[in-house]
Amino acid sequence: MNEPPVLRQAWRLVRRELRGGLHGFGVFLGCLFLGVFAISAIGSFSAAARSGLLADASALLGGDLEVRLVHRPLDPAQQAYLRERGQLSGVLELRTMAASLDTERRVLVELKAVDVAYPLYGQLPLDPEQPFQSALALDSGDYGALVEEAFLQRLSIRVGEKVRVGAVDFVVRGVLKAEPDRTIRAFTLGPRLLVSRSGLDATGLLQPGSLVTYAYRLRLADREQVDQLKLDLQQQFPDAGWRLRSWREAAPRVRFFLERMNTNLTLLGLCALLVGGLGVSGAVRGYLGKKVLHIATLKCLGASARVIFVAYLLQILLLGLLGAATGLLAGGCIPFLLDWLLGESLPIPLQPGFYPQVLLVAALFGLLIALLFSLKELGIACRVPAAVLFRGYVETERKNLGKKVWLAILLTAGLLILVAVLSSSDRRLAGWFVLGALACFLIFRLLAGLVIAVARRLLRPQQPALRLGLANIHRPGAPAGSILFSLGLGLTALVMIVLVQANLNSMVSDSIPAEAPAFFFLDIQPEQVAPFEQLLNDSAGLVRLERYPTLRGRITAIAGVPVEQAQIDPKVRWAVRGDRFLSYSAVMPSGTQLSRGGWWPADYSGPPKLSLTADVAAGFGVSIGDRLRVNILGREIDAEIANLRTVDWSTLELNFALLFSPGVLENAPQTHIAAVHLLPEAEESVYKRITDALPNVSAISTREVLANVSRTLARIGAAFQGMAGIALLTGFLVLAGAVSADQHRRIQDAVIFKVCGATRRDILLSFAAEFALLGLAAGAISILTGGLAALAILKGLMDAPFNFYPGIVFATLAAGIGLTLLLGLLGTWKALGQKPAGYLRED
Amino acid sequence: MADPIIEISNLQLSLVGGAGPVNILRGVDLRVMSGETVSIVGPSGAGKTTLLMALSGLERASSGVVTIAGTRLDRLDEDALARFRRRQVGIVFQSFHLVPTMTALENVALPLEFAGASDALQRAQAALAATGLSARAAHFPGQLSGGEQQRVALARAFVAQPALLLADEPTGNLDRETGQLVMDLLFNLQRELGTTLILVTHDPALAQRCSRSIRMADGQLLDLAEAQP
Repeated sequence: MNEPPVLRQAWRLVRRELRGGLHGFGVFLGCLFLGVFAISAIGSFSAAARSGLLADASALLGGDLEVRLVHRPLDPAQQAYLRERGQLSGVLELRTMAASLDTERRVLVELKAVDVAYPLYGQLPLDPEQPFQSALALDSGDYGALVEEAFLQRLSIRVGEKVRVGAVDFVVRGVLKAEPDRTIRAFTLGPRLLVSRSGLDATGLLQPGSLVTYAYRLRLADREQVDQLKLDLQQQFPDAGWRLRSWREAAPRVRFFLERMNTNLTLLGLCALLVGGLGVSGAVRGYLGKKVLHIATLKCLGASARVIFVAYLLQILLLGLLGAATGLLAGGCIPFLLDWLLGESLPIPLQPGFYPQVLLVAALFGLLIALLFSLKELGIACRVPAAVLFRGYVETERKNLGKKVWLAILLTAGLLILVAVLSSSDRRLAGWFVLGALACFLIFRLLAGLVIAVARRLLRPQQPALRLGLANIHRPGAPAGSILFSLGLGLTALVMIVLVQANLNSMVSDSIPAEAPAFFFLDIQPEQVAPFEQLLNDSAGLVRLERYPTLRGRITAIAGVPVEQAQIDPKVRWAVRGDRFLSYSAVMPSGTQLSRGGWWPADYSGPPKLSLTADVAAGFGVSIGDRLRVNILGREIDAEIANLRTVDWSTLELNFALLFSPGVLENAPQTHIAAVHLLPEAEESVYKRITDALPNVSAISTREVLANVSRTLARIGAAFQGMAGIALLTGFLVLAGAVSADQHRRIQDAVIFKVCGATRRDILLSFAAEFALLGLAAGAISILTGGLAALAILKGLMDAPFNFYPGIVFATLAAGIGLTLLLGLLGTWKALGQKPAGYLRED
Repeated sequence: MADPIIEISNLQLSLVGGAGPVNILRGVDLRVMSGETVSIVGPSGAGKTTLLMALSGLERASSGVVTIAGTRLDRLDEDALARFRRRQVGIVFQSFHLVPTMTALENVALPLEFAGASDALQRAQAALAATGLSARAAHFPGQLSGGEQQRVALARAFVAQPALLLADEPTGNLDRETGQLVMDLLFNLQRELGTTLILVTHDPALAQRCSRSIRMADGQLLDLAEAQP
């Protein structure tokens, strides 16, 4: 008689086994569902946002091509050149103050002035509905303005009321419900105020040196021609000093942010899935543990180890598919759900859809994790000796797995690492994540071994419950290993999250130095300097005033090398990214710390010299004697570095990376910037006096800016907390699974304990002692691993300072361990209530 | 004359099964003197094991009174019953019921540990020696033969020197020779300690070794016969 193929034999067994339902696989399915859901949800959301951004790229940019300049408009020849190639629209942006005529409140606004061609793409939905251009037009002697809802709230006014901007009173004619070309910025200084170009001209805010951004948008007949046009523009006007962006590069920061967020959140999701792997392993162990006699019977009846292995492997894969498929379905629906629930209020246009690549990667993660964490248990199960049937008890020691199973485990792990690294846009980060995860697993494996070994060698405590609790940890087949693993990883995630959060929070609050200026005043015209200072000197509560003339300029060459070709440390790349504020000074500003070189004489009148901050000099690889070329309002100035200053930017003192020697910039158009230190009680009155008297001067409140930063960090943090919450939930699910997988043994023990005279209190105390000891051990090591992970995230990814907050960490651990104890005892409640007679009779 | 250690009066015990309540014990009356050895014989399903459970307080009577060593079991809650067992009762099962993840020594020490005995391990070691298993003290049940496992169970049942030993088919899972050895050991220990023994068995020869034999059928004690010594 020929033996049927292994697969057919195995499949027959699978069908019969699964007829019994999915009992015992709740944790298995739950862990896979949560992990795959997390990864597919974030992947689908990112893909939908990317597609949305690409589909709306021209609307996001405001045109097919944008030409952007700071301080100055395009000259007529440049404008004519562009006008010949498509439909042109000009937009100006600046920050200024707006005041309510009724409530007398003032607010810093992000003002945008548009021409009649605006918008070239997209729509601006208004409330109440009305034609866009007529909402801004001059009507009955008043210009119209459109504002964000936040603007109305800040000034406590309603649509129809007037606001003063510069010399003009605008009527607020409606609320902007959306603004397609507003760059999605996590951080803004004030709400949007949109007016017509003619309205802005009438305000008198456009002064020489005012910080105004000019953006010219072009709509092309064929937007695919945009790259050629960019090249033509660069050739035609090589010294224009503008920034060109095509629709292909729309919202680069958003895309970068999305990419980064996707990578980080996916790795956190993978973290959840890895923790879930322990749940998978526990569930498979529990399931196969109950099948030992069944497997032994099959073997007695002639089933080979191979048939047993394949049969249970097929079951695991089928269940893995079920868990992953439900996770994928839920995760894949997230973009649809968000679009349906939030729609236009989302800051990013979503293009909902099922993204096969994203779903495939998430499914692969799920299946590989299911496989990786099941193989060992499958290997053990197929080696169950048939002789078990003839003995009262199953051998508790673990069997050797054999080479083939180990090889399969290694291959699966390798494949998982490969998918994790290849599917990430930041492979270096993914690589570090893999190393971190491996280190974590190794640490907890060693820890589990260590705790069990220590528990075995410790002197037997006098207290019977403590003695039993301790013994429970090191007994053969005890779940201490898996509890330590799941609890340890869960607590590691918890410690990491609270430490990152605490450090980010304190970074914001600590960054308000005790002597931080209350306000920065921008755009003070040269002729306003005297009245400005007079107003301040007349005010009670002025502590200190720092004021500098400012211009905008961009560095074009470093030590003779054009910026585009220069080697620049990424940390100081900001200094060459477009125009930066710069200033000049004859005398060394008070509080300056020179690290190299000396300050020029106060009456210096020689060739241009430059004082550079030491961090920028180090990032540029230059020192004193080297030269920088700076383009200021179209004029190239070549200056020698005379000295290097050490600047602590976190003090919020007024500082400039570049300070010129006297005699170079005095005659260039410029404005002044002032940092004003005030007594807290004087802040409101000074703010009002200055903005009343000098309406074009913008006032930035340090307090408000930092509150804004906090809000931004909180928004970003919320996404991470959500994902970390899933990781944590999975951790507790795994823990519950580990406890429940062990429940059968606990019931058995509890019954025998009762027969031997143990009270419920004795049993409860022994279980509590076991969980408390495991919780303490896992908590102790979590401080180390969670702390290291937080350090890596803060220092490595965010370049932020790291502080250890023992109070927060210990409180977190106490809560985590307390919850574990509760969960563990709840899980063993059934064991406590078990009536011995029923169990003894069944046996 | 010795005092009665077991007094049962009109004991009824019903269990609720899938098909409704089943009357397992139907009016059992029994009186056993201290130091007596009593065998209970009868067909499967007669209620022998249930009677043992009721005697040990592991099963509660539906009605009637069970008094062991002067203590009425129906007046004790679950924890008080556990404390009562720890002092007064040792039990030996057909399928041993050792804790599989504890060594032989740890299994034997359990009742003493729950009683808070500081010398639990030493006394357990002595009890194991009395059953000839000193060399197997560090072995887990899975590493012992059936006979050895039952000897560990015997050591555990006797270690706290209970007044009453309940044995439910103690040789049911053992071969004849091993069963003989285990029973010799059981009777020797019982004699040494003066323990009262209630032995449930199907083996007439084993029943003959007890001072009294009781036949049970259909939840009732049918006849009482004084065994010939």
